[in-house]
This record gives sequence, structure tokens and C-alpha cells, in this order.
Amino acid sequence: MSNLVSGDGRTHIESRLMRESLQDRRVVAGTDSDRDVHIFPDAALIGIGGQSIFDRGKDAILPLVDEIAAIKRDLGKKMVLAVGGGTRVRHTLSVALDLGLPVGGIAQLIGAMEELNAILLNTLLAKHGSMPMQRDHFWDLPLYFSSGILPIAISIPPYHFWEPPPDEGVLPQHGSDFGLFQLAEVLSMGQLIFVKDQDGLYDKDPAVHADARHIPRITLAELLANPPPTNILDAELFRAWSTAKNITRIQIVNGLKPGMLTAAIRGEDVGTVIVKEGGRG
Amino acid sequence: MADRKIIESTLARTNLTDHDLANVAYSPTAVMPDVRVVKIGGQSVMDRGRAALFPILDELVAARKEGIQVVVLVGGGTRARHIYSIASELEMPVGVMATLGKYIPMQNARMVQMLLAKHGGLYILPDDFEKLPLYLQLGCLPVMSGMPPFGYWEKREEGSRIPPHRTDAGVFLSAEFLGAKRAIFIKDEDGLYTDDPKKNPAAEHIPRISVAELKARDLPDLVVERVVLDYLPRARACKELQIVNGTKPGNVLAALRGEDVGTIIHA
Repeated sequence: MSNLVSGDGRTHIESRLMRESLQDRRVVAGTDSDRDVHIFPDAALIGIGGQSIFDRGKDAILPLVDEIAAIKRDLGKKMVLAVGGGTRVRHTLSVALDLGLPVGGIAQLIGAMEELNAILLNTLLAKHGSMPMQRDHFWDLPLYFSSGILPIAISIPPYHFWEPPPDEGVLPQHGSDFGLFQLAEVLSMGQLIFVKDQDGLYDKDPAVHADARHIPRITLAELLANPPPTNILDAELFRAWSTAKNITRIQIVNGLKPGMLTAAIRGEDVGTVIVKEGGRG
Repeated sequence: MADRKIIESTLARTNLTDHDLANVAYSPTAVMPDVRVVKIGGQSVMDRGRAALFPILDELVAARKEGIQVVVLVGGGTRARHIYSIASELEMPVGVMATLGKYIPMQNARMVQMLLAKHGGLYILPDDFEKLPLYLQLGCLPVMSGMPPFGYWEKREEGSRIPPHRTDAGVFLSAEFLGAKRAIFIKDEDGLYTDDPKKNPAAEHIPRISVAELKARDLPDLVVERVVLDYLPRARACKELQIVNGTKPGNVLAALRGEDVGTIIHA
């Protein structure tokens, strides 16, 4: 039984943080350590691009769905899927900015656009055992994994009306790339793979420059020090990763090339591998 | 391979970088500019019990009767510190800490709602935010947890396992979204002093200070969550935080009427 403490007009429960200000750096430093408890270290989170895959329609989507079904059948990997919203998100942003909606209002709107892609994906994968996962029903995951269910998670983080004013610019800072990163980070998932329409990162945009050089492997520190002019993942993902503890490796693969996702799930260095120094990647 | 099927719009072919957005006209609207967003502190008020809370609730009701639209958010306090303490020993990720941190402000908000029910107190969830116009036009006093809904998606701050966005951040961000110019924090102190008034009788009260001045003091401790001071200068609507002493009669009502009592921290 915890002791109740009073005498200053307030009733406290005895604890290390009792009466303390949680704004005090000296106090909060005592709460930290260099590790988190690991929750699902043998699971993989696969984020499928909205613009890069879904906006291309069935020619891009159906082969990828077949590959995911085969991975599930053959590799027995614990996997969670998620999708981005794509061009409809950009259209929403354009209209919302023109209307002058506050940043929290914009953030509240955009999740619906990726949900459409999640419904499409689930409709195609249901016969292989997929199921949409409610927002933060992570504690159902052991049941999904042991029953052979492939959950489809929500990518956009629940910042909604409470989206903070952005560091720069006018758009919500916490988009679906960040949301997926955070989901994998908090659950300390072993693999985080983004499926896009190019082989990963390049030193310049390969769609514009024929001599763009592919980057097979790069560290987070190198990427932050010298960001490519067009990055296919949101900057906020990298900012959050730089203070995070668990994710040590993020892989970007080309979902238009058959076999790349399968190779990545097997742990092969295809596409671009980004590693955080000092980690296990 | 099929091309991307793009909906044409201003942002359709951009990378969403600032460079691309430089020419996009944007002037955000204030959603409900007349609403007062006010926080009842957890440790500073709720943990003091009826002696501290009841007079504050009387003033909230009095303001409501004057036609002032008030949204009440409630903090956590000692039970939040207790769960953070145990969870941090267990090395819980920050997102789990933030999820645990939702429950105590929720309890406190429910307590306040029960006490305000006869005056129109209404417990609301983040999903009810869009119904605020109805509740306020009916003369209700919506009460909710101050914790923003980030939960498992809360980011880690270097050197701490405590979620950086807690109920102060939730109050500020609620005010910012609603378009209120000021977020009001009811605490058990008059705001900021030049020194600790409990130890130094010569300490002077600071009625008004900018975020830049406050940060220049580089205090190890702060009166509000650090993220709020980071956000305030770049806020579009909520450019001021007001800290008022709820243990002094009349202060809360004065603040709700828009008077400059306590300390005002401005962008």
C-alpha cells in the first residue's frame, strides 16, 4: 500500500516524482535509461505508399497484393501492413489551405484519404486473412499473429485537432510516414519497410536526372547532415528517429519490382537501407 | 507501368517543402474565437480537494452565467506522477507513458463534470470537439481531459521518459485550434516571480513576460511544459498564456472576463 502524504494542502501519493515539477530537467532525467522494454521485436511493419503505389491503380496494386499473400503463406513472418493516402491527401491539403483551416483542422481531415486505400487493400487481401486494426488495439496483435491474421494499421498519427504549429511552413508536420515510424518504434518492431515506386534513395531525383546515383546504404547521421533534395520519406520521421531508442534500421524498397519486398522481409539489403549508428541494424 | 493518377491541385506535383509552399496563400481562420480555454491544474488544484476546487468552480459557473463561453480542461497531478514513476522504472516507451498519462486527467475531468453537472457540466472526448458549438450555445460547460490524444504516437524528448506533451500542451493546442487568443491556466500560484517567493520575500511578481525573455533566464524548472513555450511563438491564434492563482477569490472570473491578472507569457 502506497503512503499518502499531505501537509502542503495537497494530498500526494508517495513516489519518486511526488511534488516534483515534470518541467524540471533534473527531475525528468531520473526517468530515463538507454533502453525501452521491447514489445514485438520479431514483427515487421510494412508501409505501402499512397502516391507511389495506390495512385497507380491495379497494375501496381495487384502484383504487390499477390506478393504479400505469398510472403504471408511462405515466410510465416509476423507482419503489420499500413498504407499512405497519396494524391487525394495533396488535394485535401490544397483545398484546406485555400479555405484557411487551422493546422489542427487540416490534420483532422487527411486520415480519411488513406483509410480509403486501407479499405481497398483489405478488400483484396481479406481472403488471405487480412483485417483492419482499430487505431491503437496493439494488444490484439498476439492474437492476430498466432491466428495468421494480417492486420492493416492506421498510418496517420492521432494528433488531429491538436496538431502542433509546424516548425516551418503551414502543413501538419505529423503525417503517415512519421505515424508508421512511431508505431514501429513504440512497439520496438524489428523491421520497418517502406514500399515505394523507386529503389530507395538517390542523390538527386531519378525521375528528373538520368545520372542520379542510387544510395544502397546510408546512416541516419549522414542523411540528416546532407539530406537529398527530394526525400521520399517525411523529414519528421528522421527528426523523431534521431531521438528514438528502438528502431535501428529502415528499409525502402521498390514495390513495382517483384520480389523486392520479399527479399527485404528475409533481411536482404535490397533497395535503400538506412541505419542508425550504434544500433543493431 | 501505369502512371500515377493525379488529381490536379496546387500541391499535386510538389514535394510539400517550404519552397513549394512559398506561393500558396494561407490565412487561417479562427474557428471559435470567443471561447475561453481554461485548465484546472492537477497537482495545483485537484489534489488540494474541495478547499481549492469549489471556489474555482463557482467562478466558472459565474462566468458562464455572464454569457462567457468556457471550455474546461483538467490536469493530472500526483496519481500521474505515481504511474510515470513506476512505468519509467519498468522502462516503458514514451508512447506507453503518454497512454498511461491519459487516464488520470480523464478521472479528474469526470470529477469536475459531476460537480458541474447541475450547471451544465458535460464530459466530452476529443471526438466531441466538433460538437462544441452546440454545447456552448446551449449554455453548457464542456469539461475534458487536458491530455492531447497522441498516446502511443508521442515522441521521445532527449534525456526524459516523461511525455513532452501533457495537459498544458493539450490546453494550449486546444486554444490554438479553436482560435482563442489566450490559454488560461488555473494554478495555486500568482504566476512568475523574479525568485522563489516562498524563500525570498523580496521576490517580485512578473505580470507580463515574453517567451524569449523567459527562455533567456534558462531556468531548470518552468511554470508550463517546455513544448508550449516552443509552440507559442509560431502559433497563429493563441499568442498568450495566462497563469492565474485559483486560490485567490475573483482571479478566475477576472481572467475569464479577459482581464490581465496573474502572469501573462506572450509570444
